[in-house]
Amino acid sequence: MRRRFYPLLSLLMVFGLAGLSSAQSEGGHYPTAGAIPDIVEGYNHLWREVMIDITIIGILFALVTLYFLFAYRRKRPNQEGKPVKLSKAAMLGWAFIPIFVFMADDLYLGAKGWTLWNTYRTPPENAYEIQLESAMWSWKFKYAGGVETYNELRVPAGKPILVRMTSADTIHSLFIPDFKVKEDSMPGRVTYLWFYPKEVGEHLITCAEYCGMLHSNMSGKVIAMEQGAFDSWLASEQAALTEGGA
Amino acid sequence: MSEDAVEHHEWESSPWPLVLSVGILFFAPFAFSMYFVYDSLFMSVVCLGIGVPLILISVIGWAKESIGPINMYTKEQGLGTPAMPLFILAEAFIFIGFLVAYWVLRLTADVWPPEGSPHIGYTTPIVMTIILVSSSITMHFAEHKLEHDDRKGFIGFLVVSIILGAIFLGLSASEWSHLLHGGFTTSTNIFGSVFYSITGFHASHVVVGLCMFLAALLMALSGSISKTYVKSISMYWHFVDIVWFFVVSQVYFW
Amino acid sequence: MSGSKGGIGKFLREWIFTIDHKRVGILYLIGSLAAFAVAGLMAMLMRIELSSVGPTITDPNTYNVWLYFHGAAMILGFQIPALTGFFANWLIPLQIGAKDVAFPRLNALSLWLFWMGIVLALLTFVVPNPPDIMWTAYPPYSILSPGNTAFYSFTVLIMGFASIAGGVNLITTIIYMRAPGMRWGKLNMFVWCTMAAFILQLIFVPILGTAVTMISMDKYLGTTFFSPTSGGDVLLYQNLFWFYSHPAVYVILLPVLGIIFDIVATFARNRIFNYKVAVYGGVGGILLVSGEVWIHHLYASGMPNWIRIGMMMSTLLISVPVGLCVLSIIGTLYRGAIEFKTPMLYAVGFIFLFLIGGLTGIPLALAALDIFIHDTHFIVAHFHYVMAVAGTFSIIGGIYYYWPKFTGKMYNETLGKIGFVITFIGVNITFFAMFFVGLEGMPRRYFDYAQMPQLEDGQRLVTYGAFILAVGFLIILISWLHSLFAGKPAPDNPWGSKSLEWTTTTPPGPGNWPEVPDCEDFDPYGYGE
Ligand code: HEA
Ligand code: HEA
Ligand code: CUA
Ligand SMILES: [Cu+2]
Repeated sequence: MRRRFYPLLSLLMVFGLAGLSSAQSEGGHYPTAGAIPDIVEGYNHLWREVMIDITIIGILFALVTLYFLFAYRRKRPNQEGKPVKLSKAAMLGWAFIPIFVFMADDLYLGAKGWTLWNTYRTPPENAYEIQLESAMWSWKFKYAGGVETYNELRVPAGKPILVRMTSADTIHSLFIPDFKVKEDSMPGRVTYLWFYPKEVGEHLITCAEYCGMLHSNMSGKVIAMEQGAFDSWLASEQAALTEGGA
Repeated sequence: MSEDAVEHHEWESSPWPLVLSVGILFFAPFAFSMYFVYDSLFMSVVCLGIGVPLILISVIGWAKESIGPINMYTKEQGLGTPAMPLFILAEAFIFIGFLVAYWVLRLTADVWPPEGSPHIGYTTPIVMTIILVSSSITMHFAEHKLEHDDRKGFIGFLVVSIILGAIFLGLSASEWSHLLHGGFTTSTNIFGSVFYSITGFHASHVVVGLCMFLAALLMALSGSISKTYVKSISMYWHFVDIVWFFVVSQVYFW
Repeated sequence: MSGSKGGIGKFLREWIFTIDHKRVGILYLIGSLAAFAVAGLMAMLMRIELSSVGPTITDPNTYNVWLYFHGAAMILGFQIPALTGFFANWLIPLQIGAKDVAFPRLNALSLWLFWMGIVLALLTFVVPNPPDIMWTAYPPYSILSPGNTAFYSFTVLIMGFASIAGGVNLITTIIYMRAPGMRWGKLNMFVWCTMAAFILQLIFVPILGTAVTMISMDKYLGTTFFSPTSGGDVLLYQNLFWFYSHPAVYVILLPVLGIIFDIVATFARNRIFNYKVAVYGGVGGILLVSGEVWIHHLYASGMPNWIRIGMMMSTLLISVPVGLCVLSIIGTLYRGAIEFKTPMLYAVGFIFLFLIGGLTGIPLALAALDIFIHDTHFIVAHFHYVMAVAGTFSIIGGIYYYWPKFTGKMYNETLGKIGFVITFIGVNITFFAMFFVGLEGMPRRYFDYAQMPQLEDGQRLVTYGAFILAVGFLIILISWLHSLFAGKPAPDNPWGSKSLEWTTTTPPGPGNWPEVPDCEDFDPYGYGE
């Protein structure tokens, strides 16, 4: 092992150790009990962290490469390289130290990803449930009392929403970019996702799984309304339904 | 190709690989899509009419070229035996694919067998197993005979193996036709899909094996048979036999 | 290329009917570059379509057929055949000191089956009801689609069979036909990498075969594997498909790394840094882990939660063996004497592009983050960086590197360098911008994005980049044509490489060497003192 490599090596190791230790200290970052966890915030947080992580790795490797390219360019014709002869210890060191560092980083990111993943997959208990049946090429949302809407997902703001979905024909994927959620709906299985519209507003829904000709037209809207407005909308729809049925 | 070709450094060539692949193109994709996608039986038959002769010609041509020194640059004849296990590895994964699909579908099903499945008798599969195992054994003897340069004995055992294989196929076909007449088809339910595809794929391997046996028979009759070829096909045949154990135990007796 | 005097008959016999591994390899190369050009053309048309909101030049059905062709042809028709067809066939016997592959006729059969696959794929543009099911062909859509799913299945089956036969052939060749003295411990990195890739092919291609067979059987023969109303399961297909198609990306990556290793060693005039660890840890590690990660394509597909978590960890761990390979590549530069010829530029470009592409695989690997970016243009940007760009750079670099050997002509260094610079700029504009388009929420396989008109500027930038890229490729093509018709004759070993393939004549004749070389004292990376 040559002297030049030590700074790089120690940098890598510091980085990996820092990763390990901060994984421990931040183990319980995302609140789970009681309060409604915020997927979007958790997402943004982890995203930033991963971006920093991979940018550092990328820049590190790129800088070393650039330096080598510059420092070891051929300076005179027919110059030959001066290969390093690694001793057995150096060889194993150059295997196990990187393996350790890379794995440390992987495990660190994996642990954080795992936490957020659990948030994604555990809907809060008080979530408001809506059924979805997708079909080529529209979304049919079903509410309590038989109310149905097409391509408009009306939800009460300030409440976590749980969507249980299935599909009439092929696979579609309910994608609500603003809430950072997506899940496929398919025939023969029931899948779910949940999100948390904190405020009143409208958000785009698109279909993210290829489903044929009008795949790109299969869009809709999440309309988050005041709880009161939502309740009266639902009541009036139900009333209209019973009238129509009578 | 003679010694003096080596000295003159000739490029080696053979038209048969190209002809064979064109034949396969017409035989499988074209004939299939003409019939099933474009609903034209006529065009499908035309494609078969082009494909089958091309395949036959090229296989025969290829086999003729393989007699004698194959290639001046390689030890082709010697490497058939070690290459066959690699090929069998790949083949095994085809069956693993189908069996895994079957396990997944079966283990997640609410009821098994699904509604509409007939009871499939045990006698036929037992008889088929016995026949296939015996053919594997006779093939082993055939190989053994050839090892000791007993050409007559080899041909005898080979013919017995071929006959046993053919009986196996016949039984399989009669079972299929029996079930199909009973109204059990590929689309009856998921068991129908699994049953016909797995047994069908296995049967297609038996057909391939038999073709290779026939080729060996022709070569033996014409007096030039390569031992490595026989070793490889008998290895293949044992593999088909082993796969059958899985098919029988999973599809018939489970 | 050497003498084709003696009329058309001789030319036909020596080229079309050839069973020589070098010529078979070159015919592979021609087929795969044709696939690349046509699929690249489709990409340009798609980019034009996406450059503005609303239908720009076509309708959704046509776009979907283009995209289907682009994905399927680029992977099955261009990269896998270029790497495991051309490079493996042409190079492996030369690098291990064999006179040909183990089964030359079988080799030619693989080649022509691959060509039949190309023909079948090109028929997409002429038949009524062309397939529009994307290269992933998920049921139920691939069964419901009015398109010709059978063509897709058969393209995969034919090319798959060609790959398996090629794998059997070359693995046997590597094991049994090495020249005397060519021990395992001194094989070229390319040989190791490609052998690993072929092992993956042998194990995983058959599974893809069963998957596509099942969709065609469901569609045409009435089986119900993927039809939930009769006891089937739609997710079964996705699992079988990715069980192959994830390892397939390493089938691409491994030979790509192998080419880069060899180029870097030659132009840095240096040994492979930590060769043993690169082979056993890097290549071996990729081989071990690559089969246990396929669920990362199904994070949003409704698989059970626990399995997504498990596969998330193994996906992350892939970065360890890949990282070891990258370390060895970069380490090979250390204390070298680096000469920046065109192939080396591509290899250096590869390092940076692969870092971007590989590292963006990390957020994708994290299930929770992937939920948002899954099936957006972010994914498209990831795999274009790592496969379409880094992989293609390695292929093009490799072609430049071996160009003098297999054509017998030198290429023009200036043209080569200009081509590199333009493509390098082009790819970075195109695919870096695409990351951001994806992060804005642009789903993939969208013919139009009327819901998200704010993306138009980004999309347009991507399209501009793609045009720069196309110009770059055009210059590369011109440099090759220029060399074919006006290149200077090449010496036997223009780069002064120590590798065995450069010891034979240029271009190598039948049988490669008059005598099988004795490799007792030979070392493919024996540079320096
Ligand atoms: C050659 C092709 C290739 C290669 C090599 C890779 C490499 C990787 N890919 Fe990629 N991928 C594709 C081609 C490829 N991919 C394709 C085609 C698709 C989409 C298919 C489709 O849907 O149509 C896809 C999709 C895809 C997905 C699915 C996304 C989705 O659909 O939602 C995921 C998710 O995990 C993923 C992850 C990875 C990872 C983790 C690697 C890793 O192997 C990368 C490893 C490399 C590095 C990490 C960089 C170098 C290493 C270091 C510098 C060491 C230090 C680093 C760390 C410790 C982090 N890829
Ligand atoms: C190796 C694989 C590969 C390669 C090289 C490329 C290359 C390119 N790809 Fe492709 N792409 C895929 C693999 C690849 N792609 C896959 C697998 C998908 C997913 C499909 C799916 O969703 O199912 C995809 C999807 C995909 C999309 C997503 C579309 C959508 O989801 O709606 C887009 C959009 O921009 C795109 C663009 C491009 C562009 C601009 C190039 C450019 O780099 C192309 C440049 C090339 C040319 C312009 C060729 C012209 C060159 C000449 C004329 C010169 C002569 C040629 C020689 C040198 C021989 N690709
Ligand atoms: Cu529905 Cu895409
Ligand atoms: Cu993958």
